[in-house]
Amino acid sequence: MRFTITGRWINISIVFLQRTPVMSFIKKISGILLTGLILLSACHRPYYIEQHHDRFYTVNDAAQADSNIVHMIAPYKKEMDDKMQVVIGHTDTMLTKMQPECTLGNFMTDAQLAAARKIQKDVVASVANYGGIRLPYINTGPITLGKMYELMPFDNMLVIADIPGDVMKRFCDHIAKMKGWPVSGIRFDIAGNEAKNIYINNKPLDEHVTYKIAVNDYMANGGDNCDFLVPLKKETTNIFIRDALIDYVKKLEQEAKPLHPKLENRLSYGNQANIH
Amino acid sequence: MATRRTFIKKAAAGSALLMAGGFPYESLAAERSQKLTILHTNDVHSHLEPFPMDGGKYQGQGGVAQRAALVEQVRREEEHVLLFDAGDIFQGTPYFNLYKGEPEIKAMSMLQYDASTMGNHDFDAGIDGFAKQLPHANFPILIANYDFTNTPLEGKTAPYTTIKKGKLKIGVFGLGIELHGLVPESAYGNTKYIDPVMTANTVAEKLKKREHCDMVICLSHLGYQYDSNKISDMVLAKETDNIDLIIGGHTHTFLDKPVPVLNKSGKETMINQVGWAGLRLGRLDYVFDSKKSSKLSNAQSVIIIKQTRGF
Repeated sequence: MRFTITGRWINISIVFLQRTPVMSFIKKISGILLTGLILLSACHRPYYIEQHHDRFYTVNDAAQADSNIVHMIAPYKKEMDDKMQVVIGHTDTMLTKMQPECTLGNFMTDAQLAAARKIQKDVVASVANYGGIRLPYINTGPITLGKMYELMPFDNMLVIADIPGDVMKRFCDHIAKMKGWPVSGIRFDIAGNEAKNIYINNKPLDEHVTYKIAVNDYMANGGDNCDFLVPLKKETTNIFIRDALIDYVKKLEQEAKPLHPKLENRLSYGNQANIH
Repeated sequence: MATRRTFIKKAAAGSALLMAGGFPYESLAAERSQKLTILHTNDVHSHLEPFPMDGGKYQGQGGVAQRAALVEQVRREEEHVLLFDAGDIFQGTPYFNLYKGEPEIKAMSMLQYDASTMGNHDFDAGIDGFAKQLPHANFPILIANYDFTNTPLEGKTAPYTTIKKGKLKIGVFGLGIELHGLVPESAYGNTKYIDPVMTANTVAEKLKKREHCDMVICLSHLGYQYDSNKISDMVLAKETDNIDLIIGGHTHTFLDKPVPVLNKSGKETMINQVGWAGLRLGRLDYVFDSKKSSKLSNAQSVIIIKQTRGF
């Protein structure tokens, strides 16, 4: 736009002008120039990106925590900790998240199956979506209520779906394609995008049988590309998946038993001799 | 070379302008160049506190009070700082289950975020649940491709905003992900999803050409990149004009450096994303000049200065 004078120019000119009578003339016309300047500033003078550089900070203790924020959070934290730090059970082994099979997933689907069987006795198996496991691990030792909220923060409900054999095959293929999801009461081999040697409740998959399977409402409504579950007959229970997990841990604690998660080759990549 | 005569003329005019404006002469020198620092987060997911010291991968990292201290330090060092979030403020710790996002939004207001967009998990307390927390927000929620007509959010978000920082005018708009199949219909209600590419082209052009913004920033919750041809920040960058920077989210992608992409008109659009849970705070420093430079017209000529100062 109209400004063409550089910084260097101005520096020189100021020094120069202090010794000249031009100064008084400028003072006289300054009012006119001021008007011009106001007019100039009324429109936005464009700027162009000349260069940029980047970095990121890892947020950690190196920065002293802001006390105003700490104070704002404090009352929320106290109430939350009082509620969430309650120990509801124990695990004698670390629970972890992995594909095709993991101990966190086995625990979750076992708990889901147990809760579903209280509603419909003939539920044979359960499936959870891998993305629904929201913690990477739970350490050996006491399990708090808060951990169950972190593991399953969503208010997903338990759903019992009536799944015909052919759809069940499709479901298992989908799980295979997704590289393995948590299952209970189901076993198969993952061969590429396909499920092979499928066993439901210890019996080979029969395409003429309709299976009662416990899932969450996210999947039942087509989430994680489970569209094939949408048109099926199903019962949406009023049980939160999270509550199913909490009840499972609490029941073991009442029986003075810790969680003892183990891998059982429920799902595996390639053929396994020990699948029956 | 200017003759002595024209030199005096120009010098006199320049000095007069300075005097009239009443500012020190150094500022006109600095005026050609303007600096802007952009700080950003995404997918903080209710992680108000650092990860617990339990031997885990992220132990001791994160925490909104620690992030506030970093932001404060940058604001002390730099004159013009903007702070943005790319959505999924909600869901992930029991704070959200108990308080439905209240402390998260309050903290963002205290950190003086300049704007945020909405992620899919920001619908987790229902559309009315998000609306309920907005009185705690002193920053705008920008979302250009959700139509909230006949929902509790009607009139409570904006497609874009413009921010003046120093001599600069910055345009910012927000884009959200397709909700169907990702968010229960009961949670998003009557919200209508509008094509993000079409929306982005309209809004970004408006910000650049009609609002005369020097820079256009898109806060996106579309996700960085997918195996399929699903719309993502990579696709968005290639299929749009007039966006200088996409601050992304959703895919929890840790980009150690922002990614330059050539947009539809062959200019550079930068994409950045800093993982999730408030583990990182992203920073981009831009230097602007009032003269258009030819050397930075495409991605090949990006000058990246390695920063050595660290925390």
